[in-house]
Amino acid sequence: MRIACVFVPQLALQAVLRRTPDARGGPVAVLEAGGDGAASAGGKARPKRIARVTEFSPEARREGVRAGMTGAQAAAVSAGLRLLTVTAADREAASAALADVGYAFAPRIERADAGDRVFFETEDLSRLYPAGEQAIAQAVQAAAARVGLGVRVAIAGSKGVGRLATRARELAVVPSAAGPARAALASIPVEILVEDTELAAAFRRWGLRTAGDVAALPVDAVGLRLGPVGARACRLARGLDDEPFVPRLPEDALEEAIDLDYPVAELEPLSFLLRGLVDRALARLRGRGLACAGLTLRLALDPRGVDVRTVPIAAPTGDAATLLQLARLDLARRPPSAPIVGVRLLALPARVRATQLDILRPAGPAPDRLAATIARLAALVGSDNVGAPVVEETWREEAVGVTVFDHAGPDVPLAAQATEPRLTIRRRRPPEEIEMLLDRRGPAAFRGRETTARVMVSAGPYRLSGEWWREPENTFQREYWDVHASDGAVYRVHQDQRDGRWYLDGYYD
Amino acid sequence: MFSVSLVGMSARPALDPALLSHLISAQRLEDRRGRRGSGIPAIDRLLGGGWPRAALCELVGRRSSGRTTILYAALARALAAGEAAALVDVGGGLDPRRAFAAGIALRRLLWIRCDAGEAAKAADLVLGAGGFDVIALDLGDARPRLPTAGWIRFKHGVEKQGTTLLVSAPARAAGTCAAAVVELGPGTPRFVADGAPLFAGLQAEAVRGRGGHDRAEPESQEARCASLAFSCRS
Repeated sequence: MRIACVFVPQLALQAVLRRTPDARGGPVAVLEAGGDGAASAGGKARPKRIARVTEFSPEARREGVRAGMTGAQAAAVSAGLRLLTVTAADREAASAALADVGYAFAPRIERADAGDRVFFETEDLSRLYPAGEQAIAQAVQAAAARVGLGVRVAIAGSKGVGRLATRARELAVVPSAAGPARAALASIPVEILVEDTELAAAFRRWGLRTAGDVAALPVDAVGLRLGPVGARACRLARGLDDEPFVPRLPEDALEEAIDLDYPVAELEPLSFLLRGLVDRALARLRGRGLACAGLTLRLALDPRGVDVRTVPIAAPTGDAATLLQLARLDLARRPPSAPIVGVRLLALPARVRATQLDILRPAGPAPDRLAATIARLAALVGSDNVGAPVVEETWREEAVGVTVFDHAGPDVPLAAQATEPRLTIRRRRPPEEIEMLLDRRGPAAFRGRETTARVMVSAGPYRLSGEWWREPENTFQREYWDVHASDGAVYRVHQDQRDGRWYLDGYYD
Repeated sequence: MFSVSLVGMSARPALDPALLSHLISAQRLEDRRGRRGSGIPAIDRLLGGGWPRAALCELVGRRSSGRTTILYAALARALAAGEAAALVDVGGGLDPRRAFAAGIALRRLLWIRCDAGEAAKAADLVLGAGGFDVIALDLGDARPRLPTAGWIRFKHGVEKQGTTLLVSAPARAAGTCAAAVVELGPGTPRFVADGAPLFAGLQAEAVRGRGGHDRAEPESQEARCASLAFSCRS
């Protein structure tokens, strides 16, 4: 079995850089509050939580920023330093994005508890990447870069060896066989081989500098002196590891979130925040070859409360502008009851329908562009007004339904070319109530919202009734007439036999 | 290469005959793009083969002139040929039973119900998606109120996408942006008087209007007119 280990070094720093991409390339430090700060000046026992630098960019390191500095100390040594705080939402989003990178390459992955590492099998990828495992590792790095993460990738025969290789190198391919694996790991320093500093110090005291030196020792003897931890380090240095691989299927929905330092009460700044969330969510979905089929916004309100809303999406789409527009429309239609201090965006993944092109038929619209267009049309005219028309199972003439548009749907054989085309009716929905003047032959004149006319010729009545099994108010009993009016049009009108009212159904056209 | 001859107050360049033989008139260029069947033989004859492809076309007529039937016939024809079609329907007047009877594969028709203010935007979105061979913009009774720039945008859009945009309205609006225009006269209803009268259908006169590409020599009135008959029977 070949396993890829993908590791995100400095997860907190990368998580905040995903949220603030403009800070990339400059000196950046992450401040995190710890509970071990100095006591307050008054000498009270309660410790003061002082935020200290935990992670920082290479640019900040060059300017002298070090871990453990307070924000003031770090700002003093680096004038252009950006001090950013990391939230749990940032970490979760970055960790989930890393998982999506894994799912882009394998159906099942294993996520490490810390959230900064994923493992997945690579044996099935050899057909997609005939150039070899080096190409697979580079493709994983490129996929991670697309979701805003810089990762280290190692492909090895076991999880432990892969984990060790990512601690030592940006990109590594370690053979599975014990001999070549031992040779590939031989130059790794013992401080990297073992994370336990006491164990590393013990190896140093024995005069061991590299993993190759440790691998040369007999495993049983090391285990006798340093315990199972030492024996495991010795086996790892030889390229041997028996840690089980426990992969899992992806979760249904993916989440992106942001916690705010200050409440947002207006739509425009909220849209700005949503844009970043939508972009990041779509980047993760694209990595798995998926689109967004549903959007749920969970808005944390100030001072308390949560507003959860589902944004309807007509068809799966990967278009950020469309999703943002739909979210904006929903927020504008139903504004939150209080300012917002946090946003969680759940995107439901779905596959965009693949279309098998027919050699004898035109290609038609591209599925992804069509989905985005339908979503935009739904935002413009309402989702109930976009789709394919469908005949409802009722005899009510005005009934019509809307179903999912399917360009590749079944054909209807075109009726044999008749000498006269079939006349259609342009319907009024719902039928428009009109005033009707009657004479002894039937309708004589009528007045509606837009039309007032005398009836020249009338044909009817045609009686239609149905749905008698339903509630009395839902049944219908009608008498239809076709009337040639003085304005030149031929209208279809009916009288409701239950209350005697007249309605204009439409006109023949 | 060419000389300029002054005739009266107007100056028109007289092209070299050798060069002239290589030029293609707008009318011939349009014909080269091809035409699609309208689904009604009389309309096909009137338009010289059907509605032009990659062009904006207008169908003009008052109530009960038969323009909705002509529109549905074009949609049915396109869908039967496996092409993609959309109907932007102002007021949502589509009758699905009659549309099905006219040969429209309902499941494959993208139907957008909207009001008059949203129609142009909806049609523009469908056009922008690409891949639709026929887009019918049925304005119903609404007078088209789109600025000239909007029609020019549609014209360039359909030429780029290869789409036939059929605009059905009570009055002309697209002006020279329309490549083909069919104007329908008021329909004359036919009632069968066998005891009580029974509505049997409509008769209407169709006239080919002058479109933006219509640079052909003047034709006789007969060549520009067609009689249409629409049946109401199942």
